[in-house]
Amino acid sequence: MRKFYEKHKTALLWVLFGGTIVVVFLLGLLASSVTERRAEIATLFNNKRVEISGIEARNQIWGENYPREYETWLKTKEMDFESKHHGNIFQDVLEERPEMVVLWAGYAFSRDYSAPRGHAYAIEDVTNTLRTGAPFTEEENLQPATCWSCKSPDVPRMMAEVGIENFYKEKWSHFGEEIVNPIGCADCHNPDNMNISISRPALAEAFQRMGKDIDNTTIQERRTLACAQCHVEYYFKGDGKYLTFPWDKGTTVEDMEAYYDQAGFSDWTHALSKAPMLKAQHPDYELFMMGPHAKRGLSCADCHMPYKSDGAIKYSDHHLVSPLKYIDRTCLTCHRDSEEQLMNYVYEYQDKILETRDRVEKELVKAHVGAKFAWDSGASEKQMEPVLKLLRAAQWRWDFAVASHGASFHAPVETQRILSHSLDKSYQAQLEVNKVLRDLGITSDYPNPDISTKEKAQQYIGLDMPKLKADKEKFKTTIVPEWLAKARENEKLL
Amino acid sequence: MEKIFPRQLVVPTIILMGVVVGLVLYLFYMSRMTSYLTDDPSACVNCHIMAPYYQSWQKSSHQPWTTCNDCHVPQDNFVRGYAFKAKDGLYHAAIFTLRAEPQVIRPRAESYGAIMENCIRCHTQLNTEFVKTGMVKYSQVHDGKARACWDCHREVPHGVISNLAMSPNAIVPLPDSPVPSWLKKMMK
Repeated sequence: MRKFYEKHKTALLWVLFGGTIVVVFLLGLLASSVTERRAEIATLFNNKRVEISGIEARNQIWGENYPREYETWLKTKEMDFESKHHGNIFQDVLEERPEMVVLWAGYAFSRDYSAPRGHAYAIEDVTNTLRTGAPFTEEENLQPATCWSCKSPDVPRMMAEVGIENFYKEKWSHFGEEIVNPIGCADCHNPDNMNISISRPALAEAFQRMGKDIDNTTIQERRTLACAQCHVEYYFKGDGKYLTFPWDKGTTVEDMEAYYDQAGFSDWTHALSKAPMLKAQHPDYELFMMGPHAKRGLSCADCHMPYKSDGAIKYSDHHLVSPLKYIDRTCLTCHRDSEEQLMNYVYEYQDKILETRDRVEKELVKAHVGAKFAWDSGASEKQMEPVLKLLRAAQWRWDFAVASHGASFHAPVETQRILSHSLDKSYQAQLEVNKVLRDLGITSDYPNPDISTKEKAQQYIGLDMPKLKADKEKFKTTIVPEWLAKARENEKLL
Repeated sequence: MEKIFPRQLVVPTIILMGVVVGLVLYLFYMSRMTSYLTDDPSACVNCHIMAPYYQSWQKSSHQPWTTCNDCHVPQDNFVRGYAFKAKDGLYHAAIFTLRAEPQVIRPRAESYGAIMENCIRCHTQLNTEFVKTGMVKYSQVHDGKARACWDCHREVPHGVISNLAMSPNAIVPLPDSPVPSWLKKMMK
């Protein structure tokens, strides 16, 4: 043996060398075969881990099956982005723009209004805002259950349980222990095939009244309509507080105004001017549809939920946020400019439109204060009628353009048009006030209240903020934990 | 030799060398290294993230006349071409391995230069005799003194939409499984 080795030493070593190469190579092939088989696990739909049926409001359950979508949805909790004018951070808008307090005098928005945070905060934010008050009992409720409508996939679940009409009829706090999961999967998806489905009746009903069929829409349209379930102008109709979109005459600012005028509807009576006011909600969908991106066939999801590839798997990013946060995969998909340039185009639109907005807010406040001055000076209802009409129309337009946070980018020309009409009507209202004052023989200027801060403005319109805040604090520490505990006990919340 | 290299280490050393050479060969095999020496566009979809770009080229008017390299690699000089290709390739491999690829891929400045050179190279008569748009260099574009070809010809050849996720179901010649059919048969 030893002799054999000595004799063929070189050859044997070469054989050993060559043999090792072959063995390693084959092992490698085996390893890649293993890798390939493991990669098959990644095909999503065929590897559901849990069976979802009915209306499953608990987002975590869906997360088991669709981890990529779920994990990106979780990122709506992030509060780390601020562009020049917007972002996903907490911003007390009334603090920054105290004129708004006066514009909304007599309405809950004058108490508290902050910039919206991500979907994952929907329940927390609607519970914590001073606008929902501190209802320790059903009677103390400020708002109807309709206020929950857009906050949670528990809403369609409860609507299925108690009926749509009965849902809206209840008070807000009635469903405190039922509506606990923030806006999530079941709001937009059918669990059987994951198609986009419309879970909210208001949109389907509005389509029906316009003679359109929501079920007969393309996938691309649904990538917008899913958002239009909530990001639209709406109102609570009648004593049943039935959630309704005022689109019967059309979806422009004038069409909807005509609808409200015909219905004789007003959201509230202004505390200073006594004008029958309209509160625009957030007509994001309506304005987006009038802008250049929608006209070229884009959907909301194209920019707010851009496609993403993870390895070879394509999915939609469910981290809904300003597309400016990820210009490199939103704008750049179609536009060839640099990121910096694209950002500046957006800022240019926003800056120029917000310039007009700032003017409107100043003049509109003057008109309200002037109207109050005229009332205080003994003006009659008949004299004040044209003033109130103009105030309603001016503020409706201002609110329409401002409440839709993306308006100045979504539809810059339309938004600028709306705001310029608002400015025009604000001045017309002032002229009418001046006529009334002239007829009353008053020559002095309007009062000029100090509303330079949120606190001063709230004091001016007569809000008892310390009490409102203290009540809310108590509500948050007593009632809310009870709701959550009960929801956990009943496994409505995981 | 035994004086400087201990006898008992000869066998392990040779095995180790075999492992190294085997792994290198395996890497050559798995990465289809030799395909990169050719001009065959299917080499570019060895890595699947190029699939949307392969597909948009495949459906374009440039498909019958050009390969990827005709536009994306300098063609004036053999050495420069391969050096450029090696540099680009190593950069791509590094980024892909780190999983750092962006969702929307854009050429680097150097790459833009090569592309524009190649536009001008093929369309010389058109852009130097009929019009003068080809009498410029990309460096001038970079300095804002001239326009790049694609400032006007925006859809040439990859279309307006550019995104790794733009065509997940594109039919492109992705590499076959590295596992040989005889092994697959055996493992069934």
